[in-house]
Amino acid sequence: MSDDIKSSLPQPPSDPQPAADHSTLPIWIIVLLLVLLFLGGLYFDNHSGWFQPQVYAPFASADQLEMYQPKSGAAAALARGKVVYEQVCGLCHGIDGLGKPGQAPPLAGSEWVTAKGFNRLAHIPLMGVNGSIKVEGKDWNMAMAAMGAALPDADLAAVLSYIRSSWGNQASPVTEDDVHKLRAGMGAHAAPMSGDQMMAMPE
Amino acid sequence: MKSGFPATFVVVLALGGSTLGFVLAPAVQLGGIQQTTVLNTADIYPPQRTGDATLGLQVYRANGCAACHTEQVRQDGVACEVVLTAPGANPAAVTNLLATLTLTNLTKEAADLVAGQITGLGGKVETHIVPNGADLDHGWGVRHSVAEDYLYDYPVQLGGLRAGPDLASIGVRSPDAGLQLKHLYAPKSVNSNSRMPSFKYLFTVQKIGDAPSPDALNLSGTDAAPAGFEVVPKPEARQLAAYLLSLRANLPVYDAPFTPPAKP
Amino acid sequence: MTANETIHPTAPAPEIDASCRLPLLALLVGASVWLVVGSVLALIASIKFHDPEFLAACPLLTYGRVVAAANDALVYGFCLPAGLSVILWIFSRLSQTVYPLPLVPVIAAHLWHLGVFVGLASILLGNSTGFTWLEFPRGGSILLFVAFVLIAIPTAAAFGYRREKTLYPSHWFLLAALLWFPWSYASANIFLVAMPVRGVAQGVIDLWFGNNLLYVWFSLTGLGIAFYFLPKLTGRPLKTYYYALYVFWTLALFGTWCGIPHGSPFPAWITSLSAIASVLLIVPVIGVMVITAQTLCGSPKSAESKSAPLGGPVCFIKLGLAAFVISSLMYIAPACPQISRVLEFTWFGQAQVQLQIWGFLASILFGALYYLLPLALGFAFKFPQFVRGHFFLLGLGVLLWVVPLAIGGYEQGANGYSLDASLNCLRISTLGLGLILIGNLLFALNVLALFVTWKINLVKTIFAAVTAPLKTSEVKS
Repeated sequence: MSDDIKSSLPQPPSDPQPAADHSTLPIWIIVLLLVLLFLGGLYFDNHSGWFQPQVYAPFASADQLEMYQPKSGAAAALARGKVVYEQVCGLCHGIDGLGKPGQAPPLAGSEWVTAKGFNRLAHIPLMGVNGSIKVEGKDWNMAMAAMGAALPDADLAAVLSYIRSSWGNQASPVTEDDVHKLRAGMGAHAAPMSGDQMMAMPE
Repeated sequence: MKSGFPATFVVVLALGGSTLGFVLAPAVQLGGIQQTTVLNTADIYPPQRTGDATLGLQVYRANGCAACHTEQVRQDGVACEVVLTAPGANPAAVTNLLATLTLTNLTKEAADLVAGQITGLGGKVETHIVPNGADLDHGWGVRHSVAEDYLYDYPVQLGGLRAGPDLASIGVRSPDAGLQLKHLYAPKSVNSNSRMPSFKYLFTVQKIGDAPSPDALNLSGTDAAPAGFEVVPKPEARQLAAYLLSLRANLPVYDAPFTPPAKP
Repeated sequence: MTANETIHPTAPAPEIDASCRLPLLALLVGASVWLVVGSVLALIASIKFHDPEFLAACPLLTYGRVVAAANDALVYGFCLPAGLSVILWIFSRLSQTVYPLPLVPVIAAHLWHLGVFVGLASILLGNSTGFTWLEFPRGGSILLFVAFVLIAIPTAAAFGYRREKTLYPSHWFLLAALLWFPWSYASANIFLVAMPVRGVAQGVIDLWFGNNLLYVWFSLTGLGIAFYFLPKLTGRPLKTYYYALYVFWTLALFGTWCGIPHGSPFPAWITSLSAIASVLLIVPVIGVMVITAQTLCGSPKSAESKSAPLGGPVCFIKLGLAAFVISSLMYIAPACPQISRVLEFTWFGQAQVQLQIWGFLASILFGALYYLLPLALGFAFKFPQFVRGHFFLLGLGVLLWVVPLAIGGYEQGANGYSLDASLNCLRISTLGLGLILIGNLLFALNVLALFVTWKINLVKTIFAAVTAPLKTSEVKS
């Protein structure tokens, strides 16, 4: 309200129109808002579950909620298999099972993994591979250590079941007993085999 | 500024945004949820209420019970617990190992590590999911409340003040209808420390007929009816008790997982 | 002269005040009655906190019903109509034109008070909708909505007819308030009562509305009125125009998203967004603190403000602004999860709401009304000493009502929700509410006495006009 308008109107002296000062807004209060908006964005990223309707506090994301689902029986074995796979096999064969060229063949869609019987497949982690092995039409000629030799029966069974049912693979699971029997029967054949040698075994 | 338009614009922007975000979006996202299943079973959750219980919700609303009671349980966190189910071929080694490990209040990653160590020695384990929180410690629930708990309610009575205990699982804590009715009639007769007002107007004091009514409340002392009379609940009281008994939010669902205790 | 000015010429203040007389009376006489009714109901409810068997046999007065009726009587019966009455007077004064169509708000005020009566009766008889702050069933809420819109339209027209086109900050706040209530009230009633959503979304919408009414609408109205009266009554300019606009923008944009507590049974995105908005609310609160401090400090412009009596209208305004800051900080604090864990579901939340109602909005409304009512009606208050008494009773009463409730709430939360530790606090708070009630009685007495004086004067004037001897020129021979 400018002063000249104030004085031109008939108002009683004790009943003034309110006036406002027009100085500029200090910058710090705007900066404060921007800082709080940024921190708010960080908080939202960490705590909101990104609009998923199933994520309630205290869960922070849909992944975390999935991780904390109680699993029993076959589901528990598969969950265990995933954990072991990611710790032991995933480095070379990839978390996605697609393998790495020059390092390890893919497991997704691999005929060795999805074969009806698991005998040949189980020998790979138990004894390792040495020599050429044909996977999905390509030749792989690199040595693999017996990565599963140190695993307990339950864990190895879980890993094998996991890779046989992941990434589109649909093959039967492997039980702990199966692995136990295999180990018992391995005996003297402790050396890594090549693809042809493994093809000579029953499926 | 010389026009009222900017002020109107701010209102439309602000209220429009929050209407979209807190009215329309929840109406679509939460209003459209269906029944879910109890974890690891085929049972539907939530079970449909009985007729009395559905009417009881209206008695709850009409008497403003939500002014003192909440029906929502909060949870502060979730942890894992590793439980040995079979010692396996090497019990001595497993026992020795167990003495060195923490088995409770673990994150999932830590629990997986511990499980791996135990199975490496031949033991069999299970990982249990255990929610934690102050409300849970208080015994008011076993998990946080989820949208499915209120699926059939109109109006949803979440409550905002806990002058009395939370009621989300009262049907589990106190499943006796007779006790609920007695508590409504004379709260101090059930809980001497109670600050709840009595709801005697939900009951009738009537002359005992040929035989005492099977619904008559079992009262003693100063609360009891005068000689020759009995206290009988009105339909509203019965419905309210049925509603309270139907409040049983104690089953695990996907949104609120936990390992239920093993059935005996 | 502009086209506006030929149709709506500027008028001197007494003429403007006279045009607002009927709407003000229609709204405020009813509002004073609801103020007393609501305070009595609140006192009954407060006694029931620590003496549960008090009047327990009467189903109409069971705690759950009486507390809802008390809160609704205070907010819908007093705060909303009194707020509207001050808004319409301020808009007329700022526009320097008479209020257009004064009979429309008069009719609307009657509809409003009928709606409040219907709503309160329904709550006490057990027909409340069950939603906090929306307990009035369909009939009452439709009456309220229609009445509000009927008052808002001519008030907005008064704004439109202003001669001075540049807006004063209060214009922003109060214009927004005129839009805010109808939008949020209609949305909430549509999605909760008319076409209810299914399931727990009802809880979200209920909390959203509660926040938009009790925090945002109250703040917009209270701050708009305070920013009008503070410079006017102290003779100092509002410091500053741009600060006030900044407060308006941030309050509107962020305040509307607050109100959903941590731990609610809603997906995490809802509670997170609300918590973030609560923290962002710090910005407008700091803005209000700076504006108040800067406006009050510095050399006074007029000698009169120095001699302003203690307990006059300006004291109510200052009390209101101080209460706004404290109540907002109490509202923001539970955004921190550790604080929410202790204070949620305790009396602390109730204390914040009561401070917002009594300490903030009611206080500012009282200050404004004590200033404008004698001007609008053309008579001084019959009991001017009551104004000062009311100020002290309100100040002390709010202190004794809110602080023990807040402490009691903390005790309750820290002791696992047991009430034993907070009983004495609740008893002291009842005393505070009693003081507030006495203060309200003084206000109501003054308003009703003024109404009676005006009515008697009106009757006298009409009687005198009717019985005056005819002028000889008017007699036909």
